Amino acid sequence: MPNELLRMRGVTLGYGSSRILDRLDFAVERGDFLGVMGPNGSGKTTLLRAILGLLRPQAGSIEFPSADGAPPRFGYVPQRERLDPHFPLSALEVAVMGRFGKMGAMRRARRADYEIARECLARCRMQRFAGRPYRELSGGQQQRVLIARALAGEPDALLLDEPTNGMDLEAERAVMELLQDLQRERGTTIVFVTHLLSAIEHFARRVALITRDGSIASGAKENMLAPDSLARAYAEEQE
Amino acid sequence: MSELLSIRFMRNVLLAGVLVALGLAPLSIYVVLRRIVFVGAAVAEISSAGVALAVLFNFEPFAAALVLTIATFLLFSRAADSPRLPLEALIGMLYAGGSAAAVLLIVKAPRGEGDILNVLFGNILTVPTALLWLMLAVFAIVSAIQYLAAKEFLIVAYDPDMARAMGIRVDRWNTIFYVAMGVAVAVAIRGVGALLTFALLVAPGAAALCFAESMAAGFAIATGLGLAATVVGIVLSYSMDLPTGPAIVAILTAAFAVSYCWAALRRA
Repeated sequence: MPNELLRMRGVTLGYGSSRILDRLDFAVERGDFLGVMGPNGSGKTTLLRAILGLLRPQAGSIEFPSADGAPPRFGYVPQRERLDPHFPLSALEVAVMGRFGKMGAMRRARRADYEIARECLARCRMQRFAGRPYRELSGGQQQRVLIARALAGEPDALLLDEPTNGMDLEAERAVMELLQDLQRERGTTIVFVTHLLSAIEHFARRVALITRDGSIASGAKENMLAPDSLARAYAEEQE
Repeated sequence: MSELLSIRFMRNVLLAGVLVALGLAPLSIYVVLRRIVFVGAAVAEISSAGVALAVLFNFEPFAAALVLTIATFLLFSRAADSPRLPLEALIGMLYAGGSAAAVLLIVKAPRGEGDILNVLFGNILTVPTALLWLMLAVFAIVSAIQYLAAKEFLIVAYDPDMARAMGIRVDRWNTIFYVAMGVAVAVAIRGVGALLTFALLVAPGAAALCFAESMAAGFAIATGLGLAATVVGIVLSYSMDLPTGPAIVAILTAAFAVSYCWAALRRA
């Protein structure tokens, strides 16, 4: 499919001898706003790590159907709880990290890199906080800084791991609306992993549902959020 | 101060102190943030085992200590990202193993207790001029690497997954970081002893992190504080006739205590 950003064919993912996701056939389209959901421990983050190239498939292949077959540029937004709060980083210092992959080895960030990082902070409505310590920002503000960091790498797609985890409803809505704006205005492909039905229900265009048995089904939100689809995915959890 | 500078060997002491502070204080930020503060203590024990080995088999002690120190840091770089075992467990085992090896080897060596003591408690007052040049060269190279590879050292410590996703080789930069640190620590221990090396690898960074609100500020404060504490410690030890290494360590400890209390009061 010419509009596909990536396609997984018979991909099996796991760590060591354990299999978490089995024989996945799954595609992400360009300009997608895809929500990935599933029960706890079902392999949502594992799927993201495989797309990023951090985890090699145990079987199958991940293809990137671009003209040259090269992987697209991914902007990665990790779970913010994974980042060490002891690092004394300003919001601008965090945002400029998104430029590191473009600078070449042993080259320091230049003024132009900081300008791009500032623009990305502004796009995420965080320019006022550029000089503020990242660790002193609220959860929602930290998430916006991390999205700005991902944008600073000028990505083709944003991959977000639980972007609204631990936020109140207002902060959750603000972050998801920001992603929606990025997708609408720039056509940025958005793939986000979440365990919150509300974020998927209100914002995703398509949904990928991971089940407890390690398979995945994807499609239009209306179909995937039908009670029987959800019941299949969460069957064991409800028992 | 002018009286102190008029004495040639005290000028060497001051120079050694300034060099080792400039070399180690910026590294201390990463030592604290990477949670490897006891690496200095473990490496001192490994160094002393290297010296004991050299005495037993008639090698050059410093070369043996240097090789073992770098090998230890290479091991740290391999284990830094291990999902199975926290790095501090390895540091603890190397500390215990190094201590035991040093004692067992020295028991069988015809001489060498003095050499071991020199490694463990090496004296800043007796740094020879040749070693000063070596310290200058090594710390200049390590500082240059740290300056040029600032973004790599930061991202692999802060967010290794992000680094990998951007195509930055986390294992390679961990190795470069640990080898650079290993060489700096080996030379520092040889010059000023394990206690002062350990203190300069921890206190400036720990104190700076109480104040700093950006990495750039953290490095600047750690370097300034390490340098100031070292000079003040040397001047105090000269004017009050105190042992120099412990005097510097006492000033560094006081600086950390003040910083820690200040940060705690600010949070309250």
